[in-house]
Amino acid sequence: MKINIMPLARVEGEGGIYVEMEDERVKEVRMDIYEGPRLIETVVLGKRPDDVISIVTRICSICSTSHRLASVRGFERAGGVEVPEKIRLLRKLVHYGEYIESHSLHYYLLALPDFFGYPDAISMAEKYGDLVLGGLELKKFGNFIMETINGKAIHGENIRIGYMGRIPEKDALEHIKSRALALIPVIEDGIMAFPAMEIPDYMEEETNFICLVPEDDGFGFIGNTIITSKGERFDVEEYKKVTNERVVPHSFAKRSSYAGSPFTVGALARVNILGERLPGKAGDFFRRLWSERWKRNPLFNNLAQAIEILFCLEQIPPLVDRILSLPDPELKEPEVKEGEGTGAVEAPRGTLYHHYKVENGRTVECDIITPTAQNLDDMEKYLRRAAENLVKNPPEDFELRLELIPRAYDPCISCSVHMLRVKVKK
Amino acid sequence: MKPKVGFYELTGCAGDMLNMLNCEDQLLSLFDVVEVKSFAMASSAHDEDTELDIAFVEGSVSTEENLHLLKRVREKSKILVAVGHCAIFGGVQISENNWEERLKKVYGDVNFIHTRPIPHEPLGMFVRVDAVIPGCPINKHQFLSAAGKLLLGTMPELYNFAVCAECKWKENECLLMKGKICLGPITRGGCGAICPTHNIPCIGCFGPVEEENVSSEYKLLLEKGYSPEELRNRMKIFGGKVREVK
Repeated sequence: MKINIMPLARVEGEGGIYVEMEDERVKEVRMDIYEGPRLIETVVLGKRPDDVISIVTRICSICSTSHRLASVRGFERAGGVEVPEKIRLLRKLVHYGEYIESHSLHYYLLALPDFFGYPDAISMAEKYGDLVLGGLELKKFGNFIMETINGKAIHGENIRIGYMGRIPEKDALEHIKSRALALIPVIEDGIMAFPAMEIPDYMEEETNFICLVPEDDGFGFIGNTIITSKGERFDVEEYKKVTNERVVPHSFAKRSSYAGSPFTVGALARVNILGERLPGKAGDFFRRLWSERWKRNPLFNNLAQAIEILFCLEQIPPLVDRILSLPDPELKEPEVKEGEGTGAVEAPRGTLYHHYKVENGRTVECDIITPTAQNLDDMEKYLRRAAENLVKNPPEDFELRLELIPRAYDPCISCSVHMLRVKVKK
Repeated sequence: MKPKVGFYELTGCAGDMLNMLNCEDQLLSLFDVVEVKSFAMASSAHDEDTELDIAFVEGSVSTEENLHLLKRVREKSKILVAVGHCAIFGGVQISENNWEERLKKVYGDVNFIHTRPIPHEPLGMFVRVDAVIPGCPINKHQFLSAAGKLLLGTMPELYNFAVCAECKWKENECLLMKGKICLGPITRGGCGAICPTHNIPCIGCFGPVEEENVSSEYKLLLEKGYSPEELRNRMKIFGGKVREVK
């Protein structure tokens, strides 16, 4: 029996699943990635850093803000550029906006339809109208934050290396604060709607998790240290030790493994490694809902995303107050002439690395490693386990049960295809 | 009968499709007046056999599979709309030459088993395109306006003026005059001049405007002290193949 699902629906980008079985034996399992390669990282070579940050943002729409933040951090570390505190905090806020938008799009509109048995959120809306509308409200709010701070919800240009073009106005920030407070009950209902008790276990298997240690204490999404679920720590400049890329023939996305084993990055990794640090109601939900199964079952990534939405909403009011209490810094453009550095952030889907080398004010090396590319090996591992368990007594919805797995990872296939390493030889 | 509509994604960042999904307030009512036959990013239900009234296609043609899909969609659709910069101009990926060399640098000698990558091209290189919605990404209000017109049986119109016009309406200080490489004068308007309003020079993401005067802008910036190399690099990013900067 062969199962070939293409295109994989309700994900960003073009991918598919291929599973081949002989009798009751699983012969081959592949996450096929046939989204075309754009070779973005070769396009940036020879260009000025301020051109490069505009180009790499275009790698992906859903995580364009994370790409922007990782790229400016990479150039800032390369050039030793200091970032004023107010701008650092505004970046944190815009990042929360991206999390709210991206996670709510995935959780409410792409993932929940699976659990309630619908092909999409539009048809789910007939019976679960409040849930879908709540998801849309959250998504809209996330976009509003990104528009306010970065100029646009997708591919905004206001975040610059070492500065920003314009500091958002007080009224807009106050509005963000009050909307965040108003939306907390919406996501609380959203979390409760997740049928945690009915999550199937046909793919369960232990795995490794990797994420960044937040630069401020507590839970968060920006940092310079990598941590694994085994407790090992690495400086982000050593990121290649944990990513170890290779090319495979069935995918335009390269693959990663750590110490010879696949691993998972993203909301589930962050919550499994750092969940004890979650404050407020997000922390309460974590302690109430978390179980050992979260370490074995990727479907809990959906719930981890919902908890992170709540975390972001709760963090916004005090963050806005702090931003407003600080004076506006002088907005001037620093020049990055020479240097090499790595900028990393936790994108909604997991750890994102941007590495740059600059000579004479031009980019001569670029290496971008995206979260979905890191997750592909683990997706295959879980698909294999699922197929092995299901093949003995094939269920009617075999395909859907396989599809659930990569979809839970919220794969961003556009991103995954554009990571690669390029070096200019002189 | 409701018009039958399909949404297709070739090679790109999916930002144009995402901006359609970002029409949170209108999404449910829009999907109520059309019959969506294919929208892989949003739904697992799809019907690829029915003829379409309108097909929205995003992304550049960058693999043989992309080309195959594009031709199939063209055949079965009355109106094909190129959505976003990649579909109309080829995207940022088209801005550099030596594609084969760069492909090899990235992937080595791997023989891909699904589909062969091909050098990036916009849709218009292969099929007739009936309408375009410009931008990287598109502006969602322009999408709603275009969709509305198409559903009523008329064709969407383009903003035939440069970003500078919108920038002036906002009474912004001119960044070009301040010596910045602002591409407002040679870029199609419709974005609302967001970047110059944030004191950031226009990078040209809505693509070249008709009758753009590239050489005049180029000369002006040379006089301001920029090198030909950095001006070419900036103008190429969203220049597609139409803007030959010599």
